[in-house]
Amino acid sequence: MQITLLQGLGLGLVGFICKLDQQTEAFYWFRPIVVSFLAGLVLGDPALGVACGAVSELAYLGMTFVGGTVPPDPLLAGMMTVVIAYTTGQNAETALGLSYPFALLAQMLGIMINTAMVFVAHKLDDCAERADADAFMRWTFAPWFVVSALWFVLVFLCSYALQMPIQNFVATFPEWVSHGFEVAGNILPAVGLAMLMLTTLKLDTAPYLMIGFVMATFLVLPNVLPVAIVGVALAFINYLHEKKMDGIAATAASSTYLEGGDEDGI
Amino acid sequence: MASKERTKLSAKDIRDLGLWSIFLQISFSFERMQAAGFTAGMLPAFRKMVNDDPDELRRFMKYNMEFVNTEPHAGTFLQGLVLSMEESGTDQPVIEGMRNGLFGPLAGIGDSIFWFTVLPIVAGICCSLSQQGSILGPILFILLYLGVGFLRIPFGQLGYTMGTRAMEGMQEVTKYLTRGAAILGATVLGALIPSYVAINFSDACVFGLGEGTTVQSVFDALLPNILPLAVTFGIYWLIKEKHVNAVYIILAIICFGLAMSFIGWM
Repeated sequence: MQITLLQGLGLGLVGFICKLDQQTEAFYWFRPIVVSFLAGLVLGDPALGVACGAVSELAYLGMTFVGGTVPPDPLLAGMMTVVIAYTTGQNAETALGLSYPFALLAQMLGIMINTAMVFVAHKLDDCAERADADAFMRWTFAPWFVVSALWFVLVFLCSYALQMPIQNFVATFPEWVSHGFEVAGNILPAVGLAMLMLTTLKLDTAPYLMIGFVMATFLVLPNVLPVAIVGVALAFINYLHEKKMDGIAATAASSTYLEGGDEDGI
Repeated sequence: MASKERTKLSAKDIRDLGLWSIFLQISFSFERMQAAGFTAGMLPAFRKMVNDDPDELRRFMKYNMEFVNTEPHAGTFLQGLVLSMEESGTDQPVIEGMRNGLFGPLAGIGDSIFWFTVLPIVAGICCSLSQQGSILGPILFILLYLGVGFLRIPFGQLGYTMGTRAMEGMQEVTKYLTRGAAILGATVLGALIPSYVAINFSDACVFGLGEGTTVQSVFDALLPNILPLAVTFGIYWLIKEKHVNAVYIILAIICFGLAMSFIGWM
């Protein structure tokens, strides 16, 4: 289906609002599940937005901004998954695979912005030197709006302006290509999870990962909450154990110290 | 140090700090990371505290414009801590040491809790609702994250009331909390692999294994979900040991999906 000019502007506005939130990481409106839902509302097809949101959220679960890295943009992924599914009639998994170049484009833009912000930081140093708190606030907040406005333009161009090329491109696909994207879409979460493992997994936490894996493989679970409860229980058991060990270590250390003192005394 | 005339902050000022701290990550730059938002969030309260004294403002803005990067909720906690130490007239080197020494460990705790535990659980629950076609999925997600976002307020209050006392107990608590969060994170992560990654050979892929035996059935007999587990660990190894850029891995997965679809194995 076609995206009208008004809908294109509406999608741009969704991009603007979600980008305001993405820069603060406050209410998680930049997550695909929300972006897709809002985009679906704008396009008058909330059901499509909900379906695309679920698929793209799972794929971008591990794509975090932890440690100041910029991942492929979850915002644009959620947005373009809906846009591509809506304009081409493909299913959500295939649309997710096709949305990837757009997420990469936004990622590159994000890296460029974080680099350009270095100049703002030096401007802020000047404000600090002059003890000008008002100017400091202005220079901190202005980029917030400028960057969000950039995402308005980006989303508008990618959705409204590019819809015909995308449609024509996808229309030439044989069946195996769209199925191939679906296969890839099902494997992609592994990358996100592997990246989570980089920060959480060490040799001494690996056994817990195995417990979670076996639980989810062999039990019928509606979601991961029961696993999280087991995780909390395990963490608590470990805490009690460690505290006890530290206590023993501390007593041992202090008693040897005392003995030493006695010897010196004698 | 110059004037130590301090206006006492009210409970409302500390509550407002929680709201201002929402902007922790705006003007994010690769050079200073969150320094701009970190400083700006504390400015309204600090201006009141020092009655806009230019020397104090200059000093405060300058040392806070140094590099800082932490998890947002931990950032609010740290802002509360810095303000309470400023209010009690602690020497700047002590505050600076605390600020620069704590943001890393606090980020470790915050990231384990909010990125690696809260997000996968909330997203897991909401996506399972979405997959059933329920509009409740995204709505529940938005509501829950409204709560997570405003959690900054108690975090700011906690940092402010703990003040310098926090320094002493912090080391020990940090150790146990980091460990507990890592265990919880690893357990949930283990469950996410079979829940979100799907790799299945098609029924047409038999390799002459005999009547009714497919390649997939061989893997399933060995251990269900062994392929998702192996692939996730394989990607983890590639990123960690071989330093392969995640972007190349994702592109490789897309090519793999297309190839497998073309030859009909998946």
